[in-house]
Amino acid sequence: MKPAAQPIEDADLHAYVDGQLAPERLAAVDAALLREPELAARVAALRELNAALRDALDPILAEPIPERLLAAAATPRARSSAGRRWLAPLFAAAATLLIGLGLGWTMRGMLLEEGGTPTTFARQAAFTHALYAADVRRPVEVWANEEKSLVTWLTRRLGHSVHAPDLNALGYALVGGRLVAGNEKPTALFMYENADKQRLSLQVRKDARHVGAPAGGTGDTAFRYAVENGVGVFYWVDDECGYALSGSVDRSQLLALARVVYGQLAALDAIEAAPARR
Amino acid sequence: MTRDAETPAGLPHPDLVAAIPRLRRYARVLTGDPARADDLVQDTLARAWEKRRLWQAGTDLRAWLFTIMHNLHVNQLALFRREAVNVSLDSDAGGGAWQIPVRANQVDRVELLEVVREMGRLPPEQREVLLLAAVEEMRYEEIATLLSVPVGTVMSRLSRAREKLKKIVAEPPTGLRAVK
Repeated sequence: MKPAAQPIEDADLHAYVDGQLAPERLAAVDAALLREPELAARVAALRELNAALRDALDPILAEPIPERLLAAAATPRARSSAGRRWLAPLFAAAATLLIGLGLGWTMRGMLLEEGGTPTTFARQAAFTHALYAADVRRPVEVWANEEKSLVTWLTRRLGHSVHAPDLNALGYALVGGRLVAGNEKPTALFMYENADKQRLSLQVRKDARHVGAPAGGTGDTAFRYAVENGVGVFYWVDDECGYALSGSVDRSQLLALARVVYGQLAALDAIEAAPARR
Repeated sequence: MTRDAETPAGLPHPDLVAAIPRLRRYARVLTGDPARADDLVQDTLARAWEKRRLWQAGTDLRAWLFTIMHNLHVNQLALFRREAVNVSLDSDAGGGAWQIPVRANQVDRVELLEVVREMGRLPPEQREVLLLAAVEEMRYEEIATLLSVPVGTVMSRLSRAREKLKKIVAEPPTGLRAVK
């Protein structure tokens, strides 16, 4: 039964389940798995173990990041001249923030008066953000104290599971959310606010085509950035959905937030997908 | 209107922030203790800033940060062991408390609890190879470089770790098996 040449070794099986087996060994292992049930059982057990490890450890990625770690990532240990040079971007960021705050209202007017239908996802996201973020008293339709029903409602209307990421570790608390009109499909909007009343909105749409995904590609895209009339937007495509995080904050700050959002949603997806994988 | 692709230059702060969750997970697996893990992450971030000129833009930031963390942990462990000798011989320098909580929505999967518990019984060097290969999906060669060991050592640690853990998923206690 067993071929004399090229016995399947332990290392082959590990590489096989980890997707690292050299292509020239792949056929030999595939054939051996069909032939030897106990080998196939070992591979199945190793696969199951990999899945269990991921399921057990992925939730750590979604945990809110402690303030002290964010600070450690932002500020190098004070070190004479080098330290001072690294402060400059912080001042620049603070200045941008102030300008952004000041311009917010002006922009809102300009955006509202601008004719025509917004076309790109980023442009529409910025427009929608400016419209609702400027609304001091009623920025959202459902407030954060009803987060659960908000999420259920938006999930139902979008026809796709949505989550409100936890941005508390970055100083932004969930204000609430609403359903907004997209080009053709509805869009879910979650609004966040920090202690300075600076607002961000995360918009999710189950329609990757309008987000600018390259045709024929895998669909997922890297983070892209656009400034639309003073509102910064990071947008990306993940799975079937387009995401846009908008705010009048400086680019690097917005990117940091976008990455946390992305990481949390990816971790949540992994948890949700877990039972299906088994 | 401006628009451009994201291109990191130098050691960008947002990329460091984005790396924190994975660093925390690696640290948690190394130390088994959330508070000590976050201390290790904080030290790693500080060291990354100090050594930022050594990072080459465009290379894998995760691997670079993981290497820093691994080396810090090894050094701290050596220091801890030297001190521990004078205090107590039976103290477990590899991480006495192993606390990786399994979330409430996962407790219906009995083997997850088991896997996490058994993982805590593995030597730290096996735990980390398991995380890097099975969860972080790093290539064995990358892991070998990260840990400064031969690839053969990575493979044997991985093999030993899996040998101990796979019994859990292969032979769960009767009646406790999660429904497939």
